Amino acid sequence: MRDADAAIARLEARVDHLEKRLAERSALLRSLTREVCDEDLLTMAFFAAGLPPLPRAGFGLRGWRETTALVPGDVEKTMKELWRSVTPPDFVETP
Amino acid sequence: MIARKVTLIVLAWNRWDLTKRCLDSLSGTDLSGAEVLVVDNGSTDETPTALAGYSSIRVLRNPQNLGFVRGNNAGIAAADPDSDVVLLNNDVEFRQADWLQRLRSCAHGDPKIGVVGCRLVLPDGRLLHAGTYILSDTVWGQQIGSLQKDVGQLTATRDVEGIVFACAYLRREVIHAIGPLSEDYRSYFEDTDYCLRAREAGFRVVLCGDVTLVHDEHGSTHGTDDFNPIFLASREVFRKKWAKALDGRYSRDLLWQSIMNFPTGYAISTREILRALDRAGVRVTYRYVYGPGTPFPVAEPQESADYLLNVLAQRGNSVRPPVAVVYGQGDVFRRNRGRRKVGFTMLEVDGFPPEWVRQANRMDEVWVPSEFNARGFRESGLKRPVSVIPLGVDPDYFHPGVRGFPNPAGEFVFLSSFEWGERKEPWLLLKVFNDEFTAGEPVRLVCKIINKDPQVHVRQEIAKLRLKESGGKVSFLFNREFPYYQLGSFYRSADCYVSTGRGEGWDMPLMEAMACGLPSIATDWGAHTEFVHEGIAYLLRVRKTIPAVAKCPYYEGFSWADPDPEHLRHLLRRVYENRGEAAARGAAAAREMAQRWTWDHAAGKITARLAALGV
Repeated sequence: MRDADAAIARLEARVDHLEKRLAERSALLRSLTREVCDEDLLTMAFFAAGLPPLPRAGFGLRGWRETTALVPGDVEKTMKELWRSVTPPDFVETP
Repeated sequence: MIARKVTLIVLAWNRWDLTKRCLDSLSGTDLSGAEVLVVDNGSTDETPTALAGYSSIRVLRNPQNLGFVRGNNAGIAAADPDSDVVLLNNDVEFRQADWLQRLRSCAHGDPKIGVVGCRLVLPDGRLLHAGTYILSDTVWGQQIGSLQKDVGQLTATRDVEGIVFACAYLRREVIHAIGPLSEDYRSYFEDTDYCLRAREAGFRVVLCGDVTLVHDEHGSTHGTDDFNPIFLASREVFRKKWAKALDGRYSRDLLWQSIMNFPTGYAISTREILRALDRAGVRVTYRYVYGPGTPFPVAEPQESADYLLNVLAQRGNSVRPPVAVVYGQGDVFRRNRGRRKVGFTMLEVDGFPPEWVRQANRMDEVWVPSEFNARGFRESGLKRPVSVIPLGVDPDYFHPGVRGFPNPAGEFVFLSSFEWGERKEPWLLLKVFNDEFTAGEPVRLVCKIINKDPQVHVRQEIAKLRLKESGGKVSFLFNREFPYYQLGSFYRSADCYVSTGRGEGWDMPLMEAMACGLPSIATDWGAHTEFVHEGIAYLLRVRKTIPAVAKCPYYEGFSWADPDPEHLRHLLRRVYENRGEAAARGAAAAREMAQRWTWDHAAGKITARLAALGV
């Protein structure tokens, strides 16, 4: 009986710990949404979850994804991503 | 001149939240010379009591809901009999302080103008309305530009078939001439009916492109159960009244055999040509010309995202129509089903393949977009008459006022958009740009590259060029496909457009960029020399013509240009350092494209040829 109580207590502590970490990570990602582009946010979220990052949507040779498929896009979103990828932070427009 | 007095008639039925928002935003605008009259259509919510708090507003209270038409007519009857009238839905909002002055000024810009509408956007910023059209085939009114993201398209003031009456400026003269709204309708179709009546009476119906209101569409009828029955009843009334007259606007029939629902140059231009021909009074039926047994054996998707084009594709037609145009490569001319046959094509080299010429010689006549191609066809053995029918650009979507997204760091941006391959000679531009500029200079080349060939690895090919890290900076947009209506926004995100290919059949991206007011650098050889000249662009010298060696079998035995790298280097630097001169050429290009090279001009040439063919 005492073993069972101890196991439950351990699991509850574990759940508390995981919930706290999840809340911290959510808070961090929420704050990052104001600072980084969608692509970087996705990458960070994948890293934080212990997953490999998604391939970058490249605007240079480094992140290039060779494909023959056409990828639909929105001009405003694409151009803003492009400029953010090549522009020093000092020049990035504040929202 | 004293501005004509205006009565603003706001029709309200319940939904005080909407009416309040409308009136509050209205009060923040310039209403000089205007009276606001709210027609309360028998509201049972707080509307009657709340309106009492607006002392500057006149209220006309109907004892019950008379519907949209009779409610507005009550307002027109109660308005100052010498005033113009603006009908307003209570679900519109005003964000331009001078909206009324602009509308009034537009309405009185020509004595023939009777009805004026404006652009309407949804609360989320999407465009909802920039005029309407209605086809006799379906009798279902369509809003121009509807649900496109608003990037500043359709901002020119122009004649339209109709407008929606969420905001309608009616000059007193038109009310005197044709009376109020037809009470054959309770709601819906009364606005199109009114516009058609005004046009029938000799008035112009105009969309004032520099006024935009926010319209929470159907905000005032959502939540009611009677939307559909009212709509369907009104549609039937409209059909009986106008279907024959709408049909009568067509003076010619034409079968257009081509390609439409793929991202190709022929398809994009077909869509534009068909729209322009419909405007020009040609009843076009569309049929896909490719498929099994042709060089492009793929079936075409049935639906385009465009209502008009879908209707054109669904129209029935006779087995042998009076005239048919095959618009595509010359080796599908044989598929022409018309009694009179036209083959319309183009090519990027200085001649045409023997099979194209053989099939072209079985046509009644041949159309090409440029003198360059007309000459090449004749020299290749064409015996049939050949006419130059230029392609065009839509100045409602490609103009200098379209909203771009330039680099906030202020870099000067050269832009090039092309399909990777021998003809576009991309390595020339990449090498020369990278050599001419340094990484420290605030300048960048953005290349939008398309590659559909699985045997080509673009990244490897670019890597082979060994572009210098210390050289001019280059960014790539690879295989990105933007909605066509947004392309003006793409061009406006750059400072100069560059097209340095070896040969062009027309070069629509170049023409579109020029229409957007970009200074452009373009090879001085090929079909695009039809519309490009030194006064409006920078022509890149050609050293000589050389054999056109490429995967494309159609080029075999012909030649194309060898652009001069040193001259390209000079032009890039010249544009970069002489921005005033470049901007002036860009502005001149935009004016010339709008004045001479629209799709309506192209449709005018086509109808002239159809007339000459006796169709």
